[in-house]
Amino acid sequence: MMAQILAVLIFLGSLWLIFSEKLNRTIVGLLGAAVMVSLGKILNFYDETQAANALDFNTLGLLLGMMILVALLEPTGFFQFLAIWAGRISRGRPLLLLILLGTVTTIVSMFLDNVTTVVLIAPVTILICEILGINPIPYLMAEALLSDTGGVATLVGDPPNILIASAAGFSFNDFLTHSLPVVVVAWLLALALLRYLFRRELAVTPPNADVVLQLNPRESLEDPKTTLRVLIVLGGAILLFFLEEPLDLSPAYVALCAAAVALAWVRPEISDVLRRVQWSVLVFFAALFVMVGGLEASGVFDKFATILVGVEGVPPVVFGLFLLWFSAGLSAFVDNVPITIALIPVLQVLSTRGVNVTPLYWALVFGAGFGGNGTIIGSSANIVVATISESTRSPITSKLWNKRGLPVMLVTCAVASLLYIVLFPLFTQ
Amino acid sequence: MIKDWMKRNVFSIPSTATIRQAAAMIVEHHIGLLPVIDVEGRPVGVVRMSDLLSLELPVFVNLLPDLDFVHDFGAVETTRPTSEELDRPVTVLMQPRITVEETCGLLRAYALMYKHNLHDLPVVSADGILVGIASRVDIGVAILSAWKNIGLSEP
Repeated sequence: MMAQILAVLIFLGSLWLIFSEKLNRTIVGLLGAAVMVSLGKILNFYDETQAANALDFNTLGLLLGMMILVALLEPTGFFQFLAIWAGRISRGRPLLLLILLGTVTTIVSMFLDNVTTVVLIAPVTILICEILGINPIPYLMAEALLSDTGGVATLVGDPPNILIASAAGFSFNDFLTHSLPVVVVAWLLALALLRYLFRRELAVTPPNADVVLQLNPRESLEDPKTTLRVLIVLGGAILLFFLEEPLDLSPAYVALCAAAVALAWVRPEISDVLRRVQWSVLVFFAALFVMVGGLEASGVFDKFATILVGVEGVPPVVFGLFLLWFSAGLSAFVDNVPITIALIPVLQVLSTRGVNVTPLYWALVFGAGFGGNGTIIGSSANIVVATISESTRSPITSKLWNKRGLPVMLVTCAVASLLYIVLFPLFTQ
Repeated sequence: MIKDWMKRNVFSIPSTATIRQAAAMIVEHHIGLLPVIDVEGRPVGVVRMSDLLSLELPVFVNLLPDLDFVHDFGAVETTRPTSEELDRPVTVLMQPRITVEETCGLLRAYALMYKHNLHDLPVVSADGILVGIASRVDIGVAILSAWKNIGLSEP
C-alpha cells in the first residue's frame, strides 16, 4: 500500500511540475524516473530490468527513425521549396495562398514532425506576405491549426497517435480507415471557418501580386540530390507502413530501416544529422515510460480497477464522448503527450474490467489531437508560429488565438463527436 | 597611439534625441555611427546606421538562411517606418558603448573593432569625455603606414 501511494505521488508530482512549466519537462521526466526506480528498489517492487522492459520500443524506435529522416531533409531546402511553390501557384491571391500553404503544411505534417514542418514553412510564409504587403497572421495561424488537425489522421502524424497505436495495437491502416475520414471532414470545416474568421484580412487584394511569380522554387531548393534520395526512402517507408499487417512489420522497424538506408545513401556528416534529432523528446518519452512502468509494478492500476466497479454499465458512446472532450480540454492547456501517457494505463485497466476500450482509444486520438488547437500554448506548432510572429509588426497574441483558434478547436471537436456517434460501430472494432 | 590618427570633429547626439533626428544627422554628415552622449558629454552608447536600417529590413531576412532566390522584394521595397516609430527616443535602438581612451594602442583598438565587428570606435579623454572617433580605415592606415619603412633602414 505504501509503495502504491508513493508511486502515485511521484507520478502526480512529476506531472504537476511538467504542467506548471516550473522545470523543463525532460529534466522532470528523468528525475521522476530516477526517483521511481530508486523507490522501487528500496520497497522491492520495481528494478532496472523492469524499467528497461517498460520502455516502449515501438514508440521510441518510430520516433527516432522519423526524426533522422527529417534531420536529413531539413537542410535541403525542401520545405522552403514547397512553400515557395505554393506562393507561386497562388499568384498572390490571399484565399488561394491560405488554402495552398495550409494544405502543403498539413500533408507534410501528416508524415513528418509538425513542429519541424511549421518551423521551416513559417519563415517562407512571412517572406511571401511581406513582399505582397499583406498581414501574415491568417496564414501562420492556418498553418499551425491545419497541420495539428491533419496530424490526427495518420499513425505517424502526431506523437500521441504513436503512443495510442502502440498501446491499442492499431496499425497504420487502422488510422486511415478510422481517423482519416473524420479528419478530412474536420479539416475542411476548419478551413471554411478560418476563411470566415479571417474574411477581413483575406479580402485585401495585394497591390502587386505578380511579385510572387519572381520567386523561383527550384533556386530555393539547396540540395536537390539529397531531397530526392530522402523522399524516395520516405516513400518506401510509407509504402511499408501500408503493408504493416500482411508483412508483419512494426512501424518502428520500418522507420529505423528507412533511416539506415537514407543515411547510407546520402552519407552526410553524421554528427550534424544527429544534432538535429530531438533527443530531449526521446528522453522525455523514455522517462515517462519508466515512471508509468513503476506505477504498474507497484500494483496501483490493479487497485484502481477494483475502485471502478460499475463502470461497465456506462454506455460506451457516452464514455467515449466524455473522454474526447476531457482530453481535448486538457490538451488545450498542456502538452498532449503526458496526457496520453497518463490516460493509456487508465484505459488498460478498464479493459481488464471487460470494457471494450477500442472506441475509447479513438476518442483519445481525437481529443488529444484536436484539443491542442484551443490556445496559443496548446501545441508546439502553435507556440512556434506565435514565437516567429513576434519579430513581425503584428505578433500573434493569446487574445487573438482565443478569438480565431479556439473556435477551430470547438468545431473540430464537435465534428469529431458527431461522427463518433454516427459511426460508433466503426470505432468499436 | 589612437589620438594621433583619430578625427577630432566628432558628431554626436544627446540621449534625449529621437530616431528621426539621429537619421537626419547621419544623412547630413554622411557617417556610419553616432555616439549618444549625456549632458556632460560622456558617451552612453552608440547608434549605428545598421540599427536605424533595421527598422526597414524585412523580417524574413533574419529568418531565412539564404535569400538568393528572392529576386524582387515587392512591397517591402517601399515600406517605410511609421511616424510614431521615428519619434521614439533614439535610446531604444542604442547599442552598448565600446570606447577607448586617447592613449590606446593602435593594434588594441583594431583588435577591439575586429572582435566586436565595429566600423568606428569613439575615443574618450581620461575623464570619460568624448574627444574623437576613429574608423577602421583610420586605424588600418595608421598600422599599415609603418610598413613602408620595414627593411629600409638596413644598409
